[in-house]
Amino acid sequence: MYEYDLSLLEVCRLNIVLDIAEKAVSKALESGAHQAEVFVSSTKSFSIDVENNSIKTAEDIRDAGVGIRSVVGKKIGFAFVTTIQESDYLEAITKSVKIAKASIPDPDFVSLPSYEGRYPDVQGLFDPEIPRLQPEDAAELIIRTVDASLQEVGQYEVSVEARLAASAGTFAIANSLGISRTISLASVMISSSSLIRNDDARTSSFEYQSTRNLRDLDPEWVGSTASKKAVRNLGGKTIEGGTLPVILAPLAARIILGGGFAGAVDAEEVQYGRSYISDCLGHQIASESLSIIDDALLKGGLGSGPYDGEGFPTQRTLVLDRGVLKSLLHNSYTAFKDDVPNTGSASRPSYAGIPSISSSNFIIQPGSGSLDDLISEVDKGVLCINTGDSPNMTTGDLSATITEGFYIERGELVHPLKNTLFGINMRELLMKVSRVGNDVRKDSSIITPSLVLDEVKVTSG
Amino acid sequence: MRSYQWAINMEHLARLAIESALNTGVSFADIRIVNTTTTVIEITNGVSKGSIASRSKGAGIRAFIDGAWAFAQTTDLSPDAMREIGISVARLALATRSKTSERFEIEGPSFSGKSEFRPKTHFHDISFEDKVKYVKAIDDQARDYDPRIVNTHTLYGERWVELFIANSLGTSVYVENSLPRIISTPTSKDGTNRQSGFKSVSMRGGFEVFQREDSLNIGISAAEHAIRLLDSKAVEGGVFDVILDPALNGVMTHEAFGHACEADNWLAHSTVLEDKVGKIVGPEYLSITDDPTLPHLRGSFEYDWEGTKASKHSLVQEGRLEELLHSLETSSRLGMHPNGSARAQSYMDIPIPRMSNTFMEPGDWSSVELIEDTASGLLLCGVNYGYTNPSKGQFVFQADHGYLITNGELGQLVRDVSVANQILDILSKIDAVAKDIELEAGTCGKFGQTVPDTTGGPHVRIRSVPVGGV
Repeated sequence: MYEYDLSLLEVCRLNIVLDIAEKAVSKALESGAHQAEVFVSSTKSFSIDVENNSIKTAEDIRDAGVGIRSVVGKKIGFAFVTTIQESDYLEAITKSVKIAKASIPDPDFVSLPSYEGRYPDVQGLFDPEIPRLQPEDAAELIIRTVDASLQEVGQYEVSVEARLAASAGTFAIANSLGISRTISLASVMISSSSLIRNDDARTSSFEYQSTRNLRDLDPEWVGSTASKKAVRNLGGKTIEGGTLPVILAPLAARIILGGGFAGAVDAEEVQYGRSYISDCLGHQIASESLSIIDDALLKGGLGSGPYDGEGFPTQRTLVLDRGVLKSLLHNSYTAFKDDVPNTGSASRPSYAGIPSISSSNFIIQPGSGSLDDLISEVDKGVLCINTGDSPNMTTGDLSATITEGFYIERGELVHPLKNTLFGINMRELLMKVSRVGNDVRKDSSIITPSLVLDEVKVTSG
Repeated sequence: MRSYQWAINMEHLARLAIESALNTGVSFADIRIVNTTTTVIEITNGVSKGSIASRSKGAGIRAFIDGAWAFAQTTDLSPDAMREIGISVARLALATRSKTSERFEIEGPSFSGKSEFRPKTHFHDISFEDKVKYVKAIDDQARDYDPRIVNTHTLYGERWVELFIANSLGTSVYVENSLPRIISTPTSKDGTNRQSGFKSVSMRGGFEVFQREDSLNIGISAAEHAIRLLDSKAVEGGVFDVILDPALNGVMTHEAFGHACEADNWLAHSTVLEDKVGKIVGPEYLSITDDPTLPHLRGSFEYDWEGTKASKHSLVQEGRLEELLHSLETSSRLGMHPNGSARAQSYMDIPIPRMSNTFMEPGDWSSVELIEDTASGLLLCGVNYGYTNPSKGQFVFQADHGYLITNGELGQLVRDVSVANQILDILSKIDAVAKDIELEAGTCGKFGQTVPDTTGGPHVRIRSVPVGGV
């Protein structure tokens, strides 16, 4: 019997990663840095893949590394290594100081952050059952997903691709101004695609679930939903097009508001004038039905955490209040530059880069009505279930293909769509949100229900 | 000589890992040992925003038995660690075997070779200070071009890769790669109108690539473009005849056809081309090639990441679907010849079938005649992005900008234009292929892995496709 242990204790103890971070900070100061910040992570992930209805591959990935930011005057250098061996990170420290010295000073840089107060308590970020998941248990979960997919396809030929991925890690951050924090995080995800064939026609759909709590996983729901959606997608047609209402179901709303709006409230992009909402703070930029909170404190949230990528405490930030832009998302650099409070929005997914800014859990406040209710209210329009497009972040122009969607007539879905796009500027899109549903999907760091947009130019052919 | 010595050491470590895996009871094992160094320099408004140096060193190992694969990776390159990981990955494959229901074997020829890459000027022969000077000059160029340039952003990247590959079929291959890249993205503003320009140069080579004419002036060309876009309009959506420029034709060829030819789609039944091998899929004046053996391109290599020797692939020959892009697994299972198309992003990833330098072969139209011959439509230029879902047969690409065509003449400048269509329909809608051809460097993502590549082709005309406006 093969024993497989994903246990974090085997990877790295919290105090070990923190020791490395603190030691590397002092080494950087000894090497000539005026300020230094070190991020250390040690993660372990296990995944299992299904191809054509059969398990094929198991992967065991251990990733550990150290990233060092050195400050010399107003000059900054960064280096990282993909190991936590002392000789390797010492080499990286030397490099980060050297390239800081050779860089061009940034007059707007004030300091790395410091903080001595209390940190928020955020629950539900580490389920010890996730790192304890054995390959056999993972295989069983994914087989249940596939079986549920196969049961839902009726007479069609089907090929299921599915994946389960579990990961757990320890993370530490320390800087020369006294910040020293550590945390363990775990999450697990199941995704499944049903590829179906009926004579010459082929189509597919997918579903997934991502969570920090192993018991939340519902493999039967993932598999059967992917298959139901795929069957429903057979027989796509073009439509006449025109100016029509468009319903964005949660997956599509997540892509458009997540990529297309959460990125626009990044204070750095706004300060540089590269965002389509530059100069809009305090203004009504969206319809009154739209309120958005960026909430890093959400229990068990995929974007939650007590501190940000620079070790600064996180918070709940009101971004959009009934359409009025209330706050941007800041890290220490942009907050110092604008002399405003730091919202704790520095993001750093791994040791391999300088912290940037991103939303934590970007929560679109729900309204009322299920997706079916919203559809029933549309006389003639389209439902966009998914798209892969994102707007031009400078102009806000969005030209989006409905990769999965339906034509609606008299409150009912008539047929799936093919070769159909819609075009709208994000500024206009935000204003045209006429209705917000309550069919919230939580399994992402962009948490949104369905949205109804009035009068969007739809092209098909 | 240093790297040659490295390869000999790696050969020894690789054999330890592979033998440990085979002794544990698997039938096939392979390993990639990689040492990558990168430097990134990011300058905004004349100020250093990110200067990053990195080293990424590790090994990825796979074990296989009866249709079950396991993959593991380590950054500890000691002999003990190699033995241990060989055993543990083999055990994981054996555990997985009991859950698999498809049985197959991995077969194929073995390759031995050392392919050292000698750029004219190695990155390490240029000081970091001189690199910063070059990037600063580009950033200044863009800002000085016009007072309406309100933000400049310049990104310099260099990557040096040493890769050793071995497998239990006897393959033992050492390759080097060297990839420079420079990107300029200035923002222009006039009143409330904001636009962003984008230009990039990348090839396979050393620092000398940054001394080419186009690299030395990239700040100016990007700023020029950002200023020009201030006069652009969003296009009204509709069904149009469109002419694609070489860069955009490249992305269409890559998205609409290249991905659908990756042979892992046949194993997963995830491509609409599944029943089309050897059959006509487009007009006879249409051929599509994927060629990693072309020199100096961003998607070029001598051996793929499984150690199979690279070769030129005729995906579509005169309208007929001829060849697929294979890994060892796909060629073994489909009974075809491995053709060196397995690529991985790093040692932490499994090699999968990928494109390299992919392009549509030229035809006989002149691009000027092509425009003159178009009564009404759009000339679309430059690439924002593209994506595809081969199992649904759909693809999308977005042009950076374009021009309305009226009575064979170019008119109003437009921007951010998306085109969506079906893989099986698009080739037959192409009615004219020009004789000019250009290739453009890019980066392609699949299953979470990105690899450097090149796409291109001549100007082409496509009849009546839906174009999404704003």
